Amino acid sequence: MDYDPMVMDTEASGPTVKITEAGANHVDFELQNVDLAFANSLRRVVLAEIPTMAIDLVQVEENTSVLADEFLSHRLGLIPLNSKNIDDVVYTRDCDCEDYCELCSVTLSLHAKCTSDDIMKVYARDLVVDAQRANQYVGNPVITDPEGLGTVICKLRKGQELRMRCIAKKGIAKEHAKWAPTSAVGFEYDPHNKLRHTELWFEQDPVKEWPMSKYAEWEEPPQEGEPFDFDAVPERFYFEVESAGNLEPDAIIQQGIKVLQQKLAAVIRDLTDGEGETNGINGGGYDAPRSPDLNMNGQWQDAGYTTPYGNGGQANTWSNAGAATPYGATPYGQNGANGW
Amino acid sequence: MPPKKKTPAADPVASQEEDVSMAEAPPEEPTEDVIGDDANPAILGVDEQPIRVLAGSSEKAASYEFAKEDHTLGNALRYIIMKNPDVEFCGYSIPHPSEAVMNVRIQTYEGLALDALEKGLTDLMDLCDVIAEKFVAAREDYTSEMQS
Ligand SMILES: [Zn+2]
Repeated sequence: MDYDPMVMDTEASGPTVKITEAGANHVDFELQNVDLAFANSLRRVVLAEIPTMAIDLVQVEENTSVLADEFLSHRLGLIPLNSKNIDDVVYTRDCDCEDYCELCSVTLSLHAKCTSDDIMKVYARDLVVDAQRANQYVGNPVITDPEGLGTVICKLRKGQELRMRCIAKKGIAKEHAKWAPTSAVGFEYDPHNKLRHTELWFEQDPVKEWPMSKYAEWEEPPQEGEPFDFDAVPERFYFEVESAGNLEPDAIIQQGIKVLQQKLAAVIRDLTDGEGETNGINGGGYDAPRSPDLNMNGQWQDAGYTTPYGNGGQANTWSNAGAATPYGATPYGQNGANGW
Repeated sequence: MPPKKKTPAADPVASQEEDVSMAEAPPEEPTEDVIGDDANPAILGVDEQPIRVLAGSSEKAASYEFAKEDHTLGNALRYIIMKNPDVEFCGYSIPHPSEAVMNVRIQTYEGLALDALEKGLTDLMDLCDVIAEKFVAAREDYTSEMQS
């Protein structure tokens, strides 16, 4: 097998990030020279695992509006709350308190009564944030409209009243979408579909029926009759992150990477703690999941590290003359301690 | 809907008082609880351990079970471990969608499978560092470009 390792190794030049557009509540960027797996991890983590604040418990003291208690509670939960420096807030499950406290929650009270003949609207700005909280930002309702009203919670007629105590807690969107920091994460690659990762449905002609992505002009369109490149892998990923208002878009990306690293750190910690006590290797008298390739006598049918090319171990089809690895002298490229 | 009540938990002093009152409770009750916990495998170490080596693993070929992980970690880890030239094979799977479990299989040409896993994790950590750094730099470049 002959190939140029540098061409195969897309990370030889290292990953790059280019901001294409940024504003108060969105950031668009291009991530280059990383693998699809990593880019997708970043997308997933941004979408579902960044902690934010959202109302989680509602104590209804008075509700004479036309909306049911649980209906209102649901609406309250969905109001975006400022989550700046949320690291100051702990998860209730990690907190020493019994139910909730000012270390793991923010209390917002809502009291509204309609006394006029006109219909009264209750807005997010009517939520009064308790001063007892981790920092001055967390729990503030996000208000971005020019009038400074925020989202409408409900409408009241003369004589109707709302009095509730809302407990906002830290959480992630994996548990409930109300904790999502983003309203959307655009994720796109290969605008010309050269890699055929998708098949475009069409009536007569897909080229005519499918509008081009705005990123199409950034990449070389396919040539007429160009043969399919079996070695091609996606290299340029276009992200469009839109904040729900609770976190700044830049903070979302940075937090996303941090969450990914915390995941890794937790696994590493666990691995070093549990070193040696490889639980499960000898155990498993029960019908536990197990590694493949073990026959009835507990012997390896195949040592696991042989290749179908006949020669196991180092002398495999991948090792070319002299070079220890297919990627050149050092395993991960040539620059620095880590080749990124 | 819980009625309005004064929550002792909101006040650290009050919660301490609550602890004292708990100690005054009959002693049998908590003791029984502890016995119950010991007998419950869900509270014992094995299930608490987020990572488990599956039965049938050897030094150079092992399967690891990660509790509460999914494609987010699985695919990126698989990719980065596969880049290690000592690794012959690395794959991941989620055996069942309603079980929060992710399995990683590693087979090496040389060295321990566990070392390859650890190297994969630190490599991914380094990659994250680089991306975070590059993002901040790119964001600063963009801001200064917009201002000029
Ligand atoms: Zn607490």
